[in-house]
Amino acid sequence: MVLLVDSTIDSIADTAFRSMFAARKSVFIDLLKWDLPVLDGRFEIDQFDDQHARYLIITDAGHEHLASARLLPTTRPHILDTLFPALCRGQVPQGRRVWEITRFCLGRQLRSAERRQIRNQLVSALATHALETGIDTYTGVAEMAWLQQILSFGWECRALGEPLPNQGCLLGALEITITPDTPAGLAAGGVWSPITAHEMPARRAANA
Amino acid sequence: MPRFEVAEVFVNNARSAPTREALYDALIQGCSDMGIRYFALTHHIDFGKEAGPAVRVHNYPPDWEEWFDERGLGRTDPIHRACNLASVGFAWSAVPGMIKLTPDDRSVLERAYQIGIGQGFTIPASVPGEALGSCSFAVDAGQRFPDEFQFVCQLIGAFAFEAARRISGSRDVLADQSPILTDRQRDCVLWAARGKTDWEISVILGVGHETVIQHLKHARERYGVQKRALLAVRALFDGLISFSDILKH
Repeated sequence: MVLLVDSTIDSIADTAFRSMFAARKSVFIDLLKWDLPVLDGRFEIDQFDDQHARYLIITDAGHEHLASARLLPTTRPHILDTLFPALCRGQVPQGRRVWEITRFCLGRQLRSAERRQIRNQLVSALATHALETGIDTYTGVAEMAWLQQILSFGWECRALGEPLPNQGCLLGALEITITPDTPAGLAAGGVWSPITAHEMPARRAANA
Repeated sequence: MPRFEVAEVFVNNARSAPTREALYDALIQGCSDMGIRYFALTHHIDFGKEAGPAVRVHNYPPDWEEWFDERGLGRTDPIHRACNLASVGFAWSAVPGMIKLTPDDRSVLERAYQIGIGQGFTIPASVPGEALGSCSFAVDAGQRFPDEFQFVCQLIGAFAFEAARRISGSRDVLADQSPILTDRQRDCVLWAARGKTDWEISVILGVGHETVIQHLKHARERYGVQKRALLAVRALFDGLISFSDILKH
């Protein structure tokens, strides 16, 4: 199931949140060795995990995290304008309809085939969420191999500037345009696997 | 033209390019804007022997492709091999420090120079589960490579590879991929890749010897391969097991 959660916590969201922050620690700190703060030795939580962030979380039936992404409003400080403005050749894209995708996280317990399927569900959930809430642009910072994967999903991408070396990696900034044609593009890329809205209990919880 | 604009123009052209020819034209323009003579966008397969959706678009001298295919260099070319060790673009001058060059490798590099291909820069490109590829840029022999364009080359390479996937239909093959091994079969393949015998695997997993033999037999059948070693390679290629899985024990 896919959950859209904000900072309104209920018990379902609590389970999903805890397992998401733990998965983020496992992926971004233990596996990818990113230099990020750890809370309580178990959770990866940074200054952008505040009440303005939204999270899309794919969970199993027990509401445990399988995959997730964090969305940050670009009208407030976010990764691209705070940490990597040099990745943009011009102005950092900003606006009410522009959100930044960060911490795209696939649980390490997922195996190849399942991993692809869950990843596709998360990408589809991102597109669906944008279309339902009036987001027309996503931005994001990605290391080159991941950037190549993002391009392969079949949605419309544009580079925002020249890539730059950072901590032994090469990072680039992308802008993804979401339109009513995006689902067809993702379908052509073999990625489109939407999960229907009635399987999103936390959406109601979040809006309650 | 400002550097990044070269990439922007290319991305616009490549995104809408309906055919290989259009992609070729977009690459020609991008190279011309950077002052670079040659490009080669290719999947790393042996084009002389292998069929399937793959792309090769280049403007290397006409004799090169034939010479290259006669020797089956698609998979063994030293630049292509170096791509396996690189996550981002690299200068050809760095290749001797990346892989051990054999006498054959040196003759490939010399041959390229003889026909006029000078310094180069290659961007490795791959999408999990598919054939590797790359996009190379090179200047005329004896010329200086415009290093200030390396990051622009990186972007052009990435977007060019994606355009090539779209045009060639290689992503359609991916789309109908389904789980190919059961969890238990995968466990057996992993231990086999770690060098264990069937009997040893049966002890490790706590199942019967015959069960392990059956799991591995079915796994080989699913992949359509005869040999244990090839089974491990196919499972690695699919990402069903990883190098770190194999080596951490």
